[in-house]
Amino acid sequence: MAEFPRPYPQPDRDTTPFWEAQNQHELNFQKCTGCQTVRYPVGPLCPECHSFDFEWITSSGRGRIYSYTVVRHQTHPAFAPPYTVLLVEMEEGPRIVAQLQAPEDAPFDIDTPVHIEWEDYPNQSLPVFVPDQ
Amino acid sequence: MTFRNKAAIVGIGQTEFSKDSGRSTLHMALEVILQALDDAGLKPNDVDGVVKMSANNDIFEIDLLRSLSLSNLRFFHEIPHGGGAACGTIAGAVAAVASGMADVVITFRSLNERSERRFGQSNVGGGVGGWGQYMMPHGLVTPAQWVAMFGRRYLHEHGHTTEVFGRVSVLCRKHAATNPHAMMYERPITLEDHQISRWITEPLRLFDCCLDTDGACAAIVVSAEKAKQLRGNPAYIVAAAQGTGSRTEMMTSYQRKSLVRLEEAEGTAKELYRAAEMEPKDIDVAEIYDHFTPMVLMALEAYGFAELGQAPQLFLEGRLELDGDMPMNTHGGHLGEGYLHGFGHIIEGVRQIRGTAVNQVEDVKTCLVTSGTGVPTSAIILAKEAS
Repeated sequence: MAEFPRPYPQPDRDTTPFWEAQNQHELNFQKCTGCQTVRYPVGPLCPECHSFDFEWITSSGRGRIYSYTVVRHQTHPAFAPPYTVLLVEMEEGPRIVAQLQAPEDAPFDIDTPVHIEWEDYPNQSLPVFVPDQ
Repeated sequence: MTFRNKAAIVGIGQTEFSKDSGRSTLHMALEVILQALDDAGLKPNDVDGVVKMSANNDIFEIDLLRSLSLSNLRFFHEIPHGGGAACGTIAGAVAAVASGMADVVITFRSLNERSERRFGQSNVGGGVGGWGQYMMPHGLVTPAQWVAMFGRRYLHEHGHTTEVFGRVSVLCRKHAATNPHAMMYERPITLEDHQISRWITEPLRLFDCCLDTDGACAAIVVSAEKAKQLRGNPAYIVAAAQGTGSRTEMMTSYQRKSLVRLEEAEGTAKELYRAAEMEPKDIDVAEIYDHFTPMVLMALEAYGFAELGQAPQLFLEGRLELDGDMPMNTHGGHLGEGYLHGFGHIIEGVRQIRGTAVNQVEDVKTCLVTSGTGVPTSAIILAKEAS
């Protein structure tokens, strides 16, 4: 049986630069040039000050685990359990969803410091997070 | 200004709840609507308003209208945001009948959620746009997985174990066990059963997740004035409210300051109690939306029945049991009766007010019904008397 491919992001007019940067292995966020708020998910308007003006900033790739789930029950043909999905609070503020990449017995928990690495898929490079040593 | 006690639910309808209805969602919707109209002593010709839920809905309104010959509609609205919309349909109907934009409004939900499209399974392929583009590519593809992130924070921040989730499930299954309509009729569970049930997505086990159900429910809303002329036993709608929170996403509002507070439920509660001129202590029975157990605990806190992190205490003290001071999910809820996207909770609320529920609580004067959380949500307070 052919392997079922992972779903991949379908960029739109707002999110294309965000995903193109990820293909260059950069996690970028929008920073409002009006009030300096870093926002995520991507959108045309600053939710804080309602300015349309922003610049892209590149994340340090460092953060801490804010929450996580270990998926034990298969719900999608492309994702074989067990696997761990993290919610990582990045140094810049936004919280990013991505998978944990670590040996099976590697200890991790809420607040564990992690850093970003990248996996390349046919349609899109995606981040994963690795616990700091 | 409020629409306090200006409207009432005068008719209800409900199919059996099963794993395979054997018929279309349109078929079931028509059955329950006719049942509810008959219950109210009304005819399809009397209907001039429809308010429906939008999410994952394969009932095309046009088919419904044609089938029932609803040729005199004056008001037709649709409420977004999945299960958060259930009581929102009642809120829309209240606004319509209280303002005179309609006289008789149908609300309903019909799902073949078990035999057709299961929300707990995903086969999303190819490119994903919208909010899903940030979740699906990473394998976070189902509501249970989205909610698990909130559940983990709840345990972490309040120092609880997963037993607090288990007690929600045990209570709902206990009430379902004596409800012949429930999918889990005569199948109660213990806390140990919960603790050994298999992991779905940690920290959620099988028994933390609602059932997959085929079925349909409908409710008819009319003005309080019209309700008095009908033969039925009205449940007056003291208040109906909707609410949103900050940085809202579809069950993944992960950018919020706190992941252990349901902002949209807090907002809904505030407006609901204001409009009802009531407080949490005035609620006799509560039907709380229970798609996943952690969200029930957070909802009990948001609606003012416990301080943050303290909802588990309500279960330990037995206060939500049928003989407690505020029985909860008297029908068994989504965890025990079946998952009708919050509409079973509305139907049960009406029955508790009428005094016709299978697990009838004595002397019910008021009932709170809440809808889906983790999304923009809604709630109603029903009462026996329009005082």
